[in-house]
Amino acid sequence: MGTYRPDSNLPSPAPGPTSPLINRRDVIRAALLAGASCALGPALSFAQTAVPELTPAQRGWDESKNLADPNWKPAFLNDGQNETLIAVSDLIIPATDTPGAKQAMVNRYLDLVLAGEPAESQQKFLDSLNYIDSESQRLFTKEFRALTPEDQSDLLRPLAYPLRPSHWGNEDHPDLGVTHFDRLKSMIAVAYYTSEVGQRELGWDGSFTHGPFQGCEHPPTSHK
Amino acid sequence: MPQDVPQQTYDAIVVGSGATGGWAAKRLAEAGLKVALLEAGRAVSPKEFTEHVPAYRLKYRGHSPEIERTRAVQKQCYACMEYNYEWFVNDLENPYSTPADRPFSWQRLRIVGGRSLVWGRQSYRLSDTDFKAASRDGYGDDWPLSYADLAPYYDIVERYVGITGAAERNEMLPDGQFLPPMQMTCGEVRLRERAKAKFGRTLTIGRAAIVTQTHNGRAACHYCGPCERGCSTFSYFSSPFTTVKDAVKSGNCMLITNAVVSHVDMDNEANQARGVTYVDRLTKETKQVRGKAVILCAQALESTRILLNSSTREYPHGLANSSGVLGHYLMDHVAGGGASGTFDDFNILPSANPPHRPNGIYMVRFRNTPTSGKHPHFIRGYGFQGGSGPEFDMKATGMGAEYKKAVKQGSYRISLGAFGESLASWDNFCEIDANLKDAWGIPALRISMAHGKNEAALMRDAGVTAAEMLEAAGAKSISVQTSFGIPGMAVHEVGTARMGNDPKKFVLNAFNQAHDVKNLFVTDGSCYVSSACQNPTLTMMAITVRACDHLIDRFRRSDV
Repeated sequence: MGTYRPDSNLPSPAPGPTSPLINRRDVIRAALLAGASCALGPALSFAQTAVPELTPAQRGWDESKNLADPNWKPAFLNDGQNETLIAVSDLIIPATDTPGAKQAMVNRYLDLVLAGEPAESQQKFLDSLNYIDSESQRLFTKEFRALTPEDQSDLLRPLAYPLRPSHWGNEDHPDLGVTHFDRLKSMIAVAYYTSEVGQRELGWDGSFTHGPFQGCEHPPTSHK
Repeated sequence: MPQDVPQQTYDAIVVGSGATGGWAAKRLAEAGLKVALLEAGRAVSPKEFTEHVPAYRLKYRGHSPEIERTRAVQKQCYACMEYNYEWFVNDLENPYSTPADRPFSWQRLRIVGGRSLVWGRQSYRLSDTDFKAASRDGYGDDWPLSYADLAPYYDIVERYVGITGAAERNEMLPDGQFLPPMQMTCGEVRLRERAKAKFGRTLTIGRAAIVTQTHNGRAACHYCGPCERGCSTFSYFSSPFTTVKDAVKSGNCMLITNAVVSHVDMDNEANQARGVTYVDRLTKETKQVRGKAVILCAQALESTRILLNSSTREYPHGLANSSGVLGHYLMDHVAGGGASGTFDDFNILPSANPPHRPNGIYMVRFRNTPTSGKHPHFIRGYGFQGGSGPEFDMKATGMGAEYKKAVKQGSYRISLGAFGESLASWDNFCEIDANLKDAWGIPALRISMAHGKNEAALMRDAGVTAAEMLEAAGAKSISVQTSFGIPGMAVHEVGTARMGNDPKKFVLNAFNQAHDVKNLFVTDGSCYVSSACQNPTLTMMAITVRACDHLIDRFRRSDV
C-alpha cells in the first residue's frame, strides 16, 4: 500500500435524510423546503432560490384524481365540442363487459392534453371534430351529438376502415374522412389505454412483479 | 462565506460521477488515495425512483409541456419522460451549437450517477477485430492496446457490475463473466435457430448490466420493466448506489456535488495539472480544488470541453493538445437500419402484466469478420438489437367492441435494429463556440458531425440482411428500414481525445494519460480510437480501471 492508506482525517459526507450520498448542501436545501429557512441565517439565503429539482412523479404526486373532480370543467373544449368528443370516444371504445371511453374519462384527459398543445395541434384536432359535425349536418341535418346512437354509428363506421377506391369511380378526396377519424381514434385510443380503466382492460392486475421472465419452453424447432 | 471544500491537496481529482467516474473514484479510494469526486449536478435518492408509478398517475401520462419547454434536445432521448425529466439537463441552461446542416443530439444528465441512471445497460466486449481494425482494412488507426491487455479489466468490471448474458464462443464478441441469462421468447428462439442454420449468424440474448440473482448485495431483477426511472432493488447497474457508494464508504473519497468544472488549473513551470476550477451550480461562486492528479470522466464531449477551455500560453489550442487532434474524430454509432414483421402462427396473447424483460436480443456482427471476408461496399460492420413477442394492437382497424377485441388479440411481432460502426473522421469534431456560454458563464461547445457514406451503406445493408433473416424465420408483413438517426441519437459519443502511442497524432497514451501533461488523465469515451459497433460503456469502465491501476502504481513508486 505504500504511503497511501485510508486516511481518517478526510471529511466524510454528512449523512442525508435518504441516502449516504446526499451532501451537506442538499441537507440544507431539504431543510429550507421544510420551512426551516429562518433558522439557518442570512449567510445561506442563496439556497432559498433553489427549487426542488424533482418531477411531480418523483415527488410522489398522484395527478389522476384531478380528472375525477366532480366540478370538472373543460379547459380547452367548449361544452358542445366536449359532448361530441364524449359521444365519438364512446362509440369507438364502448362499454362492453369492461368500461368504455366515457367511463375512462377520455374526454377529460384529452382536454387537458389539448390545453397544453401548440395552437396548430389544437386546430388540427378541432378540424377533425368539426368534420364529424359537418358530415352529420350534410347527412342528417343535425349536429352529431343530437343523432340517435344508431345514426352516430352509421356515420362513423365507414370511416373506421381503410378506404379502397371503387372501380365504379372515385369520390373527391376519398381519404379526408378517414384521416380525420384516424386522428381522433388514435388520440382516443392512447387516452383510453393509458387510463387505469384501459390498463385493467389490457389485463393489468395492479402488480409490478410476478417473478422472473418466462421464455420459450418449446422443444427446439417447434415454436408455436 | 461558507467553505465546503477543505483547502487540502487530494491525491486525485475525479471529474464526473457516472459510469467511469464512479469506477475511478472507487478504484483509487479503495487503493488508499485521497480522492475528490466532483459532480456537476445534485445528489440522487432512491426516493425519486418512479419505476412503479403507473402512467395514469402522471398529469400527461408521460409527455408534459414542461419537457417541450425546457428539454427540447433531451426529449429526443426515449428515456427522458414526464417521470424523470429533471434528471436530464435543462437545455435552456446548457446550450451548444451546431452548423445548420449538421445537427447533433447531445443527451446528458448532471446528477450523481450521470447517464448511468438511465442507460440502456447493454454490455459487450470489444474484440481484437475492433482494436486492430485499421491493420485489417487500412482505415484509420489501431488502438494502442489489445484485447489481451483489457480482458483482465473486463473481468474485474463484470464481476462487480453483474452482467446477465450467455456465452457464445464467437470471436467477434468475446464472452465475459456472466450471471445467468434472461430467457428468450419463442419468436426469438425461432430467429436464433433459422439465422444460424441458414446464414451461420449468431443471435444471443442481450448482455445487460442487470443482476439476475443476488449479486454484491443487490437483489435480482423483478422484471417490472422501465429501468430508466430508477430501480428500488438496485438490480440494474448505476454508479450512485455501487461504485460511488463504495468510494465514499472507503473514507477516502469526498463527493462534491453541484461542482460545474470549468477548467483544469496548470502549474505552467512544472507542466503539471494542479487541480480544477469549478463554479458552484447553485451559488455561482468560483472555487478550486487542488490535486496531484486530475482524471476527467465527464463524458467524451464534456471532458473535451473542459480541456479546450483550459488553454494556457503553452497550450493555446486547448490543454494537452499539442497534437491538434483534441476535439476531432468524434464518433457516435449509426443506428436505425433494420426490419420488423409478424409471426402469424404463434397463438400467444399479449399481457399488460409483468414480467417485462428489460433486455432484448443481440445479433453478433457478421460483416467484414476474419471468416466472412471483405464486403465489396463498406468496411466494418454492425450488430442488431431487437426483440420478439406479442404486442397489443392499438392500430387495429374498425371501432366498437370489435376494435377493443382486436387490440387485446394483438399481434406477435419481431424487430431488428442495427447499431453500426461510426468511422473516425477529422471532419467530425467539437470546438469552443466563442459566442455561446452556459448558465454558469462557461464557454459552450460547437459540435459538427455527420454520418458518411460508409455509415449509410451499413444501414442499407442492415435493412436487407434483417429482412432476409426475418423471412427465413417465417415472419410476415415485413417492413424494412434503411434510414438512420442524426449523430448523438445513439448516445454512444466517443473519440475526441483519442489514445495512441504517437504524441503527434494522439492526445492520450495507452494508459489514458495525456502525452503533454503527465498527471492528467481522461478515461471516459473520449479515448476511443475507433467506435466498433458494440455499446461502449462496459469498455469505458474497463479502460478506466486499467488507467487507475496504472496511476495507483505510479503513486506507489512516488512517480506523480
